[in-house]
Amino acid sequence: MRTTSARYLSPSVLVSLLAGLVFSYPFLWMFLSAFKTNKEIYQPLLLFPADYEWDAFAALFSEKYLDFSRFFMNSVFISCLQALFATAVTACAGFAFAKLNFRFKGALFLLAVLVILVPKQALAIPLFEWLTWLELNGSRWAVILPGIASGLGIVFFTQIFSRIPNELIDLARVEGASLPRTFLAILPLVAPALVTYGLIHFILAWQEHLFPLLLLSDANQTLPLGLAKLRDSSHRIPEAVAMAAATFTLVPVVVLFAVFYGKMRTALAELTLH
Amino acid sequence: MPLGLSVDLALQNPDYVPEYREDAAPQGGEEAGSATSGTVDWLNVSWEPEEEAVSAPVEKYLGLGNFSYVLGDPKFHKALKNTALYVLATITIALPLAFFLAHFLRQVPGRIRPVLSFLLLLPGFCLSGVLATLFQLFFHGREGALNQWLVVPMGFDPINWLLDPSFVLPALVLQAVWRWTGFIVLFFLCGMEAIPKSYYEAAKVEGAGAWRVMRSITFPAIRHVAVFAAVFLMIDGFASFSGAYNLLGGSGGILDSGLLLVTYLYQVAFPGGSGQFDFPAAAAMSLLVVPLTALMLFLVLFGRNRLSKA
Repeated sequence: MRTTSARYLSPSVLVSLLAGLVFSYPFLWMFLSAFKTNKEIYQPLLLFPADYEWDAFAALFSEKYLDFSRFFMNSVFISCLQALFATAVTACAGFAFAKLNFRFKGALFLLAVLVILVPKQALAIPLFEWLTWLELNGSRWAVILPGIASGLGIVFFTQIFSRIPNELIDLARVEGASLPRTFLAILPLVAPALVTYGLIHFILAWQEHLFPLLLLSDANQTLPLGLAKLRDSSHRIPEAVAMAAATFTLVPVVVLFAVFYGKMRTALAELTLH
Repeated sequence: MPLGLSVDLALQNPDYVPEYREDAAPQGGEEAGSATSGTVDWLNVSWEPEEEAVSAPVEKYLGLGNFSYVLGDPKFHKALKNTALYVLATITIALPLAFFLAHFLRQVPGRIRPVLSFLLLLPGFCLSGVLATLFQLFFHGREGALNQWLVVPMGFDPINWLLDPSFVLPALVLQAVWRWTGFIVLFFLCGMEAIPKSYYEAAKVEGAGAWRVMRSITFPAIRHVAVFAAVFLMIDGFASFSGAYNLLGGSGGILDSGLLLVTYLYQVAFPGGSGQFDFPAAAAMSLLVVPLTALMLFLVLFGRNRLSKA
């Protein structure tokens, strides 16, 4: 019987810990760089700053260089709504593809797969024209609405719903539940999958660079664009400010992930077993 | 905002044909007459360069002209080759690495497992702009961490990661592996945790070795997840734009050694980097990507169906 300390010092722990440190060490460096001077940042091997100055954080939040909170709120608004709508729409579509019979089902599913295959960036120009016609250009909805159509989500939810036994659906129909009612009734069964997909979509929307760049007006810009502005050498902003901002862009994703980690694990395990 | 402006220009002059596309305009022998007049028009215009954006000479469908032009474009070949290499290298490095990390993580006590997998996931949470910034400041250059900790101790000269043509693509691959491995580890780990303990006990009773257990129990259990991860990496690789864009500033890197498909698409469609300005060719190019990814996806899914039936 091994003791607790031996279990925590096994080779597996050491290997995993080493890999974890290699993967995340640059982020520790990034956080500590928010306290450094430019001269210290340009020496990448230096981890700890000579002294801890909060100037960069102060400059960031007093909005000396750019309106950081506005960028932050825009990002939160766009990513949250996009993840929410995308999950709702693709879950409905996945349910329909997995459990209902209708004409052109195969062709429509193929269309969903094709949507995955066309690089989103390649659609930028037709999308721009379309959104101009809808007079949405520049508003935050210009980024939210196109982001809802997700082929990956449809395929994912079709897989998930096809695991739900047909008898359950039949039972609900026999009891006289309408189709929307049936759908709502089995939603709790796939809650982990809903959370997982929403989280992944949130992360991808949070990282989106090209569409916000093309479509958003100056007042509605998101964090990736703000960060690019901070890094733009023509403004002579200290590197430490960009490092402080970069640290804050991680916070919402990390928090969401920590909250939903358990659910995500359940959903991924379910996807594996069958 | 230069990009927005360029799109505006494009919308105002949808039939603007850039100079280097001269050869693509006339197509086929029967059209010889009209082709000549088209060429003459074009020459007239090109003598007055300040007006060339306003009075576009050719306004007709080119048939498959754009496709044949793109297929004959050496830069497109280069981008295609680079992208294929990039995708293959990312998948062949990230998947086995993630598998072994997940294998080790599984044996870690449950209480610290989330913390360790979280450390691996951190790059995946990050904005690609931040990753590029970190890469430039932290890894790049003679004094960069990668050179000082890995390359120099192994007895090599420091590598200039973004300026040496033979190392631009490896730098992009490295960035992709660093970014996505954590997510794949999480997927694999969840798959492995879902395997009932009784399977392992049964294998132990029957005297199966570690390799046998891995081959007969662990591999089949995470097969679906591995396919999903491979498809994800493939799509992300073929459509990868932000990583290369942030690292190389929209260019293809030195000698176009890091030119990826979408970067080239962007260069052709928008005048920012290279001065070319050609939506039809960009559209043709993006359509040419589709059968390619479709083929690969089909192969992967076909393989999966055969595996699950076996």
